[in-house]
Amino acid sequence: MPDEKSTTEQEVRCTRRETFVKLGLGTLGVAGAGAAVFGYEFLSPNVLYEPSPITNAGKPDRYPQGSVTADPKTGIYVVHGPEGFYALSAVCTHLGCLTSWLPEQNQIACPCHGSKFNAEGVKIEGPAPRPLAWLRVWISDEGDLMVDRSTTVPARQFLRT
Amino acid sequence: MSEPKKFEAGLDSDSRKSPVRVAFVTRRTSPHVKAQDDALVMTWPETLFRAAVAIEVLGIALVLLALLWDAPLEELADPMQTPNPAKAPWYFLGLQELLHYFPPVIAGVLIPTMVIVALIVIPYFNINVEAEGVWMRAKQRRLRIVGIVVGVLAALFVVFEVWAILIPTLAVAGFMFLAAASSADSPDRFRRWLVAKPLSFWIMSWFLIQASVLTIIGTFFRGAGWAWVWPWRA
Amino acid sequence: MAKMLDTYVNDLRESRLWRSVFRSGTGATNLHRALAVQQNIFLHLFSVKMRRAALNFSVTWYLGTLSLATFLILVATGIPLMLYYHPSVPQAYADMKDLQFVVSAGVFLRNLHRWSAHAMVLLVFAHMFKVFYRGAYRPPREFNWVIGVVLLIITLFLSYTGYLLPWDQLAYWAITVGSNIMSAVPALGKKIRFLMLGGNTVNANALLRFYVLHCVILPLAAILFIGIHFWRIRKDGGLYTGEAKSHE
Repeated sequence: MPDEKSTTEQEVRCTRRETFVKLGLGTLGVAGAGAAVFGYEFLSPNVLYEPSPITNAGKPDRYPQGSVTADPKTGIYVVHGPEGFYALSAVCTHLGCLTSWLPEQNQIACPCHGSKFNAEGVKIEGPAPRPLAWLRVWISDEGDLMVDRSTTVPARQFLRT
Repeated sequence: MSEPKKFEAGLDSDSRKSPVRVAFVTRRTSPHVKAQDDALVMTWPETLFRAAVAIEVLGIALVLLALLWDAPLEELADPMQTPNPAKAPWYFLGLQELLHYFPPVIAGVLIPTMVIVALIVIPYFNINVEAEGVWMRAKQRRLRIVGIVVGVLAALFVVFEVWAILIPTLAVAGFMFLAAASSADSPDRFRRWLVAKPLSFWIMSWFLIQASVLTIIGTFFRGAGWAWVWPWRA
Repeated sequence: MAKMLDTYVNDLRESRLWRSVFRSGTGATNLHRALAVQQNIFLHLFSVKMRRAALNFSVTWYLGTLSLATFLILVATGIPLMLYYHPSVPQAYADMKDLQFVVSAGVFLRNLHRWSAHAMVLLVFAHMFKVFYRGAYRPPREFNWVIGVVLLIITLFLSYTGYLLPWDQLAYWAITVGSNIMSAVPALGKKIRFLMLGGNTVNANALLRFYVLHCVILPLAAILFIGIHFWRIRKDGGLYTGEAKSHE
């Protein structure tokens, strides 16, 4: 009989302990999930002091017909093609290196991994997975050519003046 | 009249009730003590003095290096001008060379993850622990598997035109097949050595050779626009 | 003269103060030698005795010891460098120029830190291959091999985060390319990159985050795992000395 009693007591104690273990682990789980959410929120900056994505590229007549102009300050190409104006992002779609325009070869080349593009951003060779991004272009009220680096548009969308 | 037994034999998984230890002798191993040279020395001073000497020698070498060669420092970072060529630290140049051949998901994510996972699981595979020559058993079947794997990899590298990986892969595979064609009591020492090599040896050596080749190419053979250059002509 | 110095050293080592620090005493018996290891918080990671065979140069090439040595040099040179370095743009680059041309011995400390970092990466890789080719990764040492892989990754991250700190062209573009690899991770890549850099481009936030990782988080992680690594060498039966000769 005493054996039986101690077993029951033990069972009761274990059950109670297990309850507390579960309670404790559950609380820790909730705390961990909360910490993960707040940690994520904390690590994501809410205000970024990055330069404005909208660039004033000046009067359209600055760019003669058939020219490709690299703007080294903002990392864009302003192109005045036969069908109108367009702007390309100079950031290589492979790994974000800044490409450069080689007028003698009529090509845009990336220095990091050797991707090459034509003046419309279409890949000629190299590891880049996509063509260069076409950026939104419009004429402001003052008649200036504006480029928005944060907005891409479908390729071959020209701005005629 | 015999006394009642005070014990009984049996198996139990509750270690608090039956604190019995069982030694499992796995397949093709024996419980004899393998180590023969059991001579012991005192950690202090024998080991610690040797370690101190090694550390000092390395320290002196690095101090001399630091006195003779300056660390590189280029001009101020300019987000609007990429230097040509833009190179990562040397230990990532193998990876950068891979990025030249394959899309970023494969070269930058898939391959490094696979390498790390492969490194971690090495000691958890019995085939690696037993370290038996790869051709010792099931030779025909293994030849077929290795042949298919090498063939598929080679075809893949030809499609992507990655000669820098294709050539070392074929070289390692060549030595593997040479090992398959050799016997364990060949008169040639090199062949006997090859025969005894387990599968993990071949994979690790392939990785070592491949990583070295790609790192050397990325460091010395790549110039402006990541085009191939000969370092002695630069 | 030398004899007198010996007497002084001996007197010092027998003094009450010294004996309160090093309890093992100055005797030359194996008991004293054993106590010297066992009673020291750092040395007690080692066992008191080791197999003679493990000390042969060919067994380890001392690559693990040398990896630790480079880590110690990097801590010893990195902390003084922190005293002259502000992790902000463009002050960081100006501080590098100061270290190079203005601070006494600044260029030496920076050189030593840089070359030791390269040496550490090289030695850790060499250590890994040496352990592999000797078969020292096999049970019961399999978990220590995994700890070793973790230490290899920490080493690479330490070196990579340190690479950005000079804020020169080399640093900037190496980190730009490296962080763009991360954005190739399916689905989560862009988010991971944003959290790591604290922005969409490598900028002042990224510099500060890499600085904290490089100087606080990763070194602490490295020290923790080095401690476990050393502890496990002892617990897993000491340095691997190979199979018995009689077996062959």
